[in-house]
Amino acid sequence: MSKLKLNLGPQHPSTHGVLRLILELDGEKIISCEPDVGYLHRGMEKMAEKLTYIQYLPLVDRIDYLAGFFYSELLCRTVEKAFEIELSPRVKAIRVLLLELNRIASHLLWIGAFLMDLGAVSPFFYAFREREIILQYFEKISGQRMMNNYFVFGGVRRDIGYLEDVENFLKILPDKVNDYEKLITENPIFLQRTKGKGVLDKKTAFNFAITGVNLRASGVSLDFRKGDYLYKDFEFTPVVLEEGDSWARYKARIMEIRESAKIAAQALEILKRENNLEQTLINPLTLKLPEGEYFQEIEAPRGLASIYVKSTGDSKPYRLKWRTGSYYSVNLLRKILKGAYLNDAIAISGSLDIILPEVDK
Amino acid sequence: MNWSEFKNIFNDCELQGEKIVIHSNLLKTIEFVKNNYRFEILKEIIAVDNGDSTTELTYKLFSPEDSEEVLISINVQNEAESISSIFESAIADEKEIFDLFGIRFNGNPELKRLYMPEDWKGHPLKKDYIENDERLKWNE
Repeated sequence: MSKLKLNLGPQHPSTHGVLRLILELDGEKIISCEPDVGYLHRGMEKMAEKLTYIQYLPLVDRIDYLAGFFYSELLCRTVEKAFEIELSPRVKAIRVLLLELNRIASHLLWIGAFLMDLGAVSPFFYAFREREIILQYFEKISGQRMMNNYFVFGGVRRDIGYLEDVENFLKILPDKVNDYEKLITENPIFLQRTKGKGVLDKKTAFNFAITGVNLRASGVSLDFRKGDYLYKDFEFTPVVLEEGDSWARYKARIMEIRESAKIAAQALEILKRENNLEQTLINPLTLKLPEGEYFQEIEAPRGLASIYVKSTGDSKPYRLKWRTGSYYSVNLLRKILKGAYLNDAIAISGSLDIILPEVDK
Repeated sequence: MNWSEFKNIFNDCELQGEKIVIHSNLLKTIEFVKNNYRFEILKEIIAVDNGDSTTELTYKLFSPEDSEEVLISINVQNEAESISSIFESAIADEKEIFDLFGIRFNGNPELKRLYMPEDWKGHPLKKDYIENDERLKWNE
């Protein structure tokens, strides 16, 4: 039997960006997979060494354009921890509310795009309909739909408003999610294409440093929001499913949307109670991070995101490194696609929620 | 993890802040920590150019059972041992470090350019990197 080398991507519509997979095939079966990334490399870490912190802040949203708030939060948190700034309850609640809305928006886009990968077009429109409400709300408060640049060192750029928009959205969201579930979860075609496909067991997941929803869908209760100082006063239960297949990853994201909506509702309650926006803002022009090393991390929609900053006491970082969840998911394709069929390759890689700007940095 | 027990087995190490700095036996140390203290996830490998032709590699390990983290750090010249036989995620981390810092990891099967083109000269995150590639001239 002769082997065939197939080039998938980099401009394939279902690779969610520009991911190139070099597949070796035996008939329809994949023998090996080699991911080739770097088409979107912008040199985020190199740029950090040339820019001051405030110059760098608007850039970090672009690391993952679907979850920009998380990366802003990480950079702001690094500076805040270095200067030991305690955020007021209102600022904390604003941040949690926006992070969770961002997570919902990101998961909604994933649901639409994943179903599109499988050939179902209508869920895409339904998911985007709800995502649009969130993006319009972001535009109202920050002036931007996606690259918000809303968090600043020590607080937020301006006070939040239009809370009734969020309230109305959170009211309709559970029903909308029920609608998706009616449409997708028990659909026989969907089940056949995802049940038992791309099974990721606990050990492999650990070995490949998979975090976030993908890990929790493999039966590990590891959510970095537990233990995060922002989420200290919020009640939620990490979504854990045992199966570890593509279907479980879908279901886990659906359940996480519901869970995030609960956290957002709690944040909303705090915002109604705490009207006083107290901020200890740092003058960004004279900002020099004290000498030392700083590690911060947060649970982003695509797994653990973390930042490392080494400062020599200068106005620019000596070294800045990002860890993003998708980079490790791409590396996992090497293993998880081995032995799968070619027509499942798209479904499996889609289910891992890979986003390429985050991989290439 | 138990620091005094660790110190008894590996004499060649010291505690600097929150980091354990080792001078040799990288592979053995990581393997020992993984097997004996259940540090099952390698979160990331952080490379920092010290500016004196050495590079500091920091291995950030995490134990999901105890929610505990450990940082193991080593200074290397241009070569290091690959830990891809212990953690497969290290293949990706080491590949990135090779691309940006030019450190050869002995035993890593995937050591080639990742972000930069294959014919790119130099390693961009090194402190002695000279930015005069003619492909950047259009920017001036």
